[in-house]
Amino acid sequence: MPRELSTAIVELARDDVPAMIERKLDAGEDPLAILAECREGMTRVGERFQAGDYYLAELLLSAEIFKAAVARLAPHLPDTDGDRPVGKVILATMRGDIHDLGKNILATLLRAHAFEVHDLGVNVEPAELVEKVREIRPEFVGLSVLITTAFRSMQEACRLLEEAGLRDSLRLMIGGGVTTPELEEWVGADFQTQDAAAGVAYCVERVGEA
Amino acid sequence: MNTMKETMTPDERLWAAIRLERPDRVPVLPGLLPEPAATLSGVSQAQIAGNIETAVNAVFRVFDAYGGWENPYPASYTPLQLQASGIFPLPMRIPGVDLADDVPYQLEEVELLVPEDYETLAELGFERFYYDDFLWRIGNLERDELPGVQTAMARGGGLFLQECAKRETRPFFLASSLHPFFMLSLMRSMVRFTEDLYYAPEPVERAIERMTADLIATQLDFAKQSGIDIWLLTEERASCFFFPPVVFERFWWPYTRRIVEAFWAEGIVTLFHLDTSWDKNLPYFKELPRGSAILELDGNTDIIAAKELLRGHLCLKGDVPAALLSIGKVEEVEAYCHKLIDQVGSGGGFILSSGCSVPANVRPENFRALIETGKRHASS
Ligand code: B12
Repeated sequence: MPRELSTAIVELARDDVPAMIERKLDAGEDPLAILAECREGMTRVGERFQAGDYYLAELLLSAEIFKAAVARLAPHLPDTDGDRPVGKVILATMRGDIHDLGKNILATLLRAHAFEVHDLGVNVEPAELVEKVREIRPEFVGLSVLITTAFRSMQEACRLLEEAGLRDSLRLMIGGGVTTPELEEWVGADFQTQDAAAGVAYCVERVGEA
Repeated sequence: MNTMKETMTPDERLWAAIRLERPDRVPVLPGLLPEPAATLSGVSQAQIAGNIETAVNAVFRVFDAYGGWENPYPASYTPLQLQASGIFPLPMRIPGVDLADDVPYQLEEVELLVPEDYETLAELGFERFYYDDFLWRIGNLERDELPGVQTAMARGGGLFLQECAKRETRPFFLASSLHPFFMLSLMRSMVRFTEDLYYAPEPVERAIERMTADLIATQLDFAKQSGIDIWLLTEERASCFFFPPVVFERFWWPYTRRIVEAFWAEGIVTLFHLDTSWDKNLPYFKELPRGSAILELDGNTDIIAAKELLRGHLCLKGDVPAALLSIGKVEEVEAYCHKLIDQVGSGGGFILSSGCSVPANVRPENFRALIETGKRHASS
C-alpha cells in the first residue's frame, strides 16, 4: 500500500510531499480533501510532540513542509467559504522586541489546525494591536516575547484592550522563552507557555467556549 | 537570616566552589553586562552601545555601588565589537542608530550562511571565512571600519583589567566562544540549520569538525595566556528544548567532550553557558572529568534536579530568572535565592547568579536583593 500523505508529513519526508500532492491534484482529488490530509499529518506530529517523541526540531520541520504544501494547494482552493476557519487568532511581538522565531512556528501550527491567523509582525505598538482586534474580532490574541524590555508594552496592550471594552471578548495568551506564570499575572493574560504545541492545544480546547 | 564572617578572598571562594569544596559562603557572581549596568547606573543604552569606556565604567560603577561581588563577568564590549570579533555573527540593530536611545541592542537572525559555505568553512576554517567574507555579508560594518572597532575593543579590554586590578580582583574569565553548533545555527538561521541537520548533515559535520579544531587551537592558547583557568563556552540551541537526543549525540556531544578534555588537560575549566532547558541532556555531563566544568543555567533547567545528578561532580551556576529580576518583588527574589543557597549551595559546588545575563530592565532593588542575599545567607 502506498504511503499516505499524512504519514509522509509525520515522517518529515520533505522531498516526497510535493510530488504526492502533485499526483493527487493530477488525479483530480478535491484540494480541500488534500489539505485536510495535510492537517491530519500535522495533528499527528503534534501528538508525537506532546508524547515527548518529537522535539521542537520536528515540529518546525513539519511546519515548513505544511507551509510549502499550502502554498502549492492555494491556487486550487476555493475562497475561504469551503475552508471555514475554526477560529481567529491575532499574533504579535510587541514594541521593544523583534524576535519572531517562536511566533512564526506558532502561526503555522495554528493554520495547520484550521485557525485563521493574522500575524502583525514584530515591534508592534499596543494601540495598533487594539485597532486590529477591533477590526478582526479574534477569539484569541497571542503575544510572543523573548526579552524582558518588551514586558511593559504587553501589559499596556492588555490595559488598552480593557479600556476599549474588547478584553472580555477574547483570550489573551503569552509565550516565549522568557515567560513565566508570574508574567502572565503581571500582564493580565489568560494563558502562558514556552511551548507552541501547548498554545495550539489551548486554542483548540477553548475555541468553542469563546 | 544568619550573617557569616568571611574568611576567603573572592578568588578563593570562587575556586572552592568550582573544586566542589565548601567555601566560607556561596560565591555571588551575576551576569552583569553593559545593558543592565546602563540601567542601574543611569546612562542610556545608546551611550554604552556607542562608547566602550562608557560601557566598562557603567559596569564598575554598579559593582562599587552594590558593594562588589566575586570576580566580575567580563563585560567590555559594544554590540558592534561583539560582531567584529565573531562572538555574535549576526546583523544587529543598535540603540541610538537604528533603535531609540533607551532600548537594548537587538539581533536579527537571517539566512546569511548558504549550504555551500559549510565546505568553505571546513576548508578555510572559521577565522578566514569570517573576515574574508561573512562579516561583510552582515552589513553593519564597512571594511575600513574594522581596525578602529578592533582597537577600541582592545582598549576596552585593557580598561576592564585596570579596573579589576584597582579593586584587587580579576575577571571571571577572558577566553570565550560560541559552540560551533550554535554559531552555525545563528549564521544559517534556526529553521534552515535544522533542515540541514536532517536532510544534508555531512557538510555540517565537516564544518563543525574543522571549527572544533580551530576553536581548541585559538581559545586554548588565549586562555593560557590570560592566566585565568576558566573559559566560557556558550550553547543555546543544542538542548532537548530544540533537538532529540540523536541529534545531540551526533552533532554536539562528541565535539563538546573533545573541547572540554583539551582544556582540562591544561587545567582549564570550561564554563558552559546553557540557556533553555537541559533537563534531558544533563546525564551526559556526568561523563566529563570531575571538576572540569561549570554549568551556568538560566532558570529553564531544573537546577535542583541538576544538583541531585551532578552533586560532587560539577559546579553549578545560576539561576535567578530574568522575568523575576525585572518584574518580581524583592521578597520573591530573596526567597528564590534562599532556596538556591539551601538546596543547591549546601556543601559547595554552587555559584549564585542571575539566570543568563541580568535583564536590561532589572529593578535595582531586585538586583540588590540578589547580591545581598547571597552574601548574607549561610546555607543550612
Ligand atoms: C538563542 C538565543 C540568543 C541568540 C540570538 C537569538 C536571536 N535570534 O535573536 C544570541 C546568542 C545572539 C542571544 C543574544 C542575547 N540574548 Co538571548 N537567548 C537565546 C535563547 C537561548 C533561545 C532563543 C531562541 O532561539 N528560541 C527559539 C524559539 C523557537 O523559542 P521561543 O521563542 O521560546 O518560542 C517557542 C515557545 O516559547 C512558543 N512561543 C513563542 N511565542 C509564543 C507566543 C504564544 C502566544 C504561544 C502560545 C507560544 C509561543 O513557541 C515556540 C516553539 O515552541 C533564549 C533563552 C530562551 N529560553 O528562550 C535567550 C534569551 C532570549 N536571551 C537573553 C538575553 C539576555 C540575551 C542578550 C541580551 C545577552 C547579552 N547581553 O549578550 C543578547 C542580546 C539579545 C537581543 N537583544 O536580541 C534572555 C532574554 C531575557 C532578558 N534578559 O531580557 C533569554 C530569555 C535568556 C534568559 N533566560 O534570560 N540570545
